[in-house]
Amino acid sequence: MGKGLLKKASEYLITFFIIITLNFFIPRLMPGDPFTFLSSEEGQITVTYTEEQIDKYKAYYGLDKPLFVQYASYITNLFKGNLGYSIYYNDSVVRIIGKRIPWTVSIVIISIILSCLVGTILGSWSAWHRNGIPDKVIYAVMIPISEIPSFLIGILFLFILAAKQGIFPLSGGISTFAEYNNPAEKAVDIIHHAVLPVLTLSMTRLGEFYLLSRNSMVSVLSKDYIRTAKAKGLNKVRIIFRHALKNAMLPIVTRVFLSLGAIFGGAILVENVFSYPGLGRLMREAVMVRDYVLIQGIFIFMAVMVLTMNLLADILYVKLDPRVS
Amino acid sequence: MEYIKYKRGHSSDIQRGTSCKGVSNNIIKKFSITGKIGITIVFLFLLIGIFSNCISLHPYNVPSGSSLESPSLVHWLGTDDLGIDLWAQICFGARVSIMVGFGTALLAGLGGSLIGIFSGYFGGLTDKVIMRLTDMMIVLPDLPVMIVLGAFFGPSVRNIIIVLALFSWTAPARIVRSKVISVKEEKYVTAAKSYGANFWHLTIRHFLPNILPIVMVSIIQLVSRAIVAEAGLAFLGLGDPTSKSWGLVLNHAINFRGIYFTDYWKWWVVSPIAAITLLVTAMAFIGRDVEKIVNSKI
Repeated sequence: MGKGLLKKASEYLITFFIIITLNFFIPRLMPGDPFTFLSSEEGQITVTYTEEQIDKYKAYYGLDKPLFVQYASYITNLFKGNLGYSIYYNDSVVRIIGKRIPWTVSIVIISIILSCLVGTILGSWSAWHRNGIPDKVIYAVMIPISEIPSFLIGILFLFILAAKQGIFPLSGGISTFAEYNNPAEKAVDIIHHAVLPVLTLSMTRLGEFYLLSRNSMVSVLSKDYIRTAKAKGLNKVRIIFRHALKNAMLPIVTRVFLSLGAIFGGAILVENVFSYPGLGRLMREAVMVRDYVLIQGIFIFMAVMVLTMNLLADILYVKLDPRVS
Repeated sequence: MEYIKYKRGHSSDIQRGTSCKGVSNNIIKKFSITGKIGITIVFLFLLIGIFSNCISLHPYNVPSGSSLESPSLVHWLGTDDLGIDLWAQICFGARVSIMVGFGTALLAGLGGSLIGIFSGYFGGLTDKVIMRLTDMMIVLPDLPVMIVLGAFFGPSVRNIIIVLALFSWTAPARIVRSKVISVKEEKYVTAAKSYGANFWHLTIRHFLPNILPIVMVSIIQLVSRAIVAEAGLAFLGLGDPTSKSWGLVLNHAINFRGIYFTDYWKWWVVSPIAAITLLVTAMAFIGRDVEKIVNSKI
């Protein structure tokens, strides 16, 4: 088992290296130039920097050196935890990303937990009443929900719940210029802003977890020991949650980790719908202003997160299922 | 011996012929109600996409009324802030979505199955390298990479199709590979090989008929994925700025100041959302039914 894990880990390491190499080259091949962008007024093409100034800045940021030298310094800096300095935001990339991480990671984690919990419960219930009316109704509702892309659900929520009803704020992660009497008030404000993004993200993942747990549950419920449990006269809840769910959990738990990549992708869109101050919004802004360093930093962070979670899923799978060696 | 061989080949040909016909007849019958509705909707969108010039009374890129008109007999879905007819935009958006959806799915499906056949048939190092590659592609968070690649390639429809296909070929490749590996061991393939059949002959005569149904399933599943991805990119403002896709209409609508405080969203925002949702859900229904039919055949 140790050997297998080592092999897996080395595979992930290779993947990681390919990602950072890609990450290095792609932004450099992009059309456009951050200095042209920086030196021009908004919406105009007139360049106010002189050739000399641009050359000076290029030398300052090391962009005039040969690619190989840039690559080598990029790798060494990466391992020192230095992701560079954002040209547009005038701040170190690690600090900029660090400010945004809590926003994104918290909505991602909360919505994964929510969708997994609700999806599993609905799925188990549906599997128990298989082919009954409630099962058919939930199934028919879940399939379109799992297909509708996250940002569309988000926009509808935004217009109906925020703009028309005014129940939730339109945008942002926290009220601007607000003063709070105590931390609890601030927390309430943050939660109030986070409700819609979290709801949207969990809605989009709900169908996936529902279908997965329903399938898994259906196959477990047809096993002999479930019939035994039924014959013993145990009640429904006990059979589902004590006997069946334990065995049906396996694919669900690993899916939690594996769906992280998709949910990060969803978060990028959803954050832009709600102007939520997370990494997704930052990434779009960075692409818009061609801030190479920042795009690289965000991308590396997301890739590392997703890779780690996938590795964790592999490890967990081996730990949870004694049949896998 | 010669006679037996002839007879065998002959009978199997007959069998294949009838079964093909049977499949095409049965497939429509085997679709559930939702599947049939799905086919109808997709077919309608196809028609709208192909004949968008004739269906829409107004141009999709030039103002044809005053700005922000509500839906009426002249402008069926109203107009946007520039006075451009929204129904025309939806019609031409269908063209973009269908092109991106089916283009990506065909490109990724064909490319992916070719890679899968290679990988499954030759095995060894080729197989190992390709499988590692697919492992990697699955792990990569696709939207961030698409944003970066889209910005790098330049956001034209053709490039978006290529970028999306780059991210979609792994699923068909994997399925095809495992199927080819199992078919490769069948007696009739061994027999064909012993008669001197080469790779291309085996692929065309024996592998393709076997993998065609499963490739079809994955192509159908890829279509809606590609449509959603394109809409997402366009919504972020990172799609092709010259093509009026549904995502771009949404992007314009959301960026319009005061969209939240007026009733314009009722036609401006809802119609592209409805179009994307309808098409994607319809594709999903078809995909589910085709998958069921193919699985029941195996």
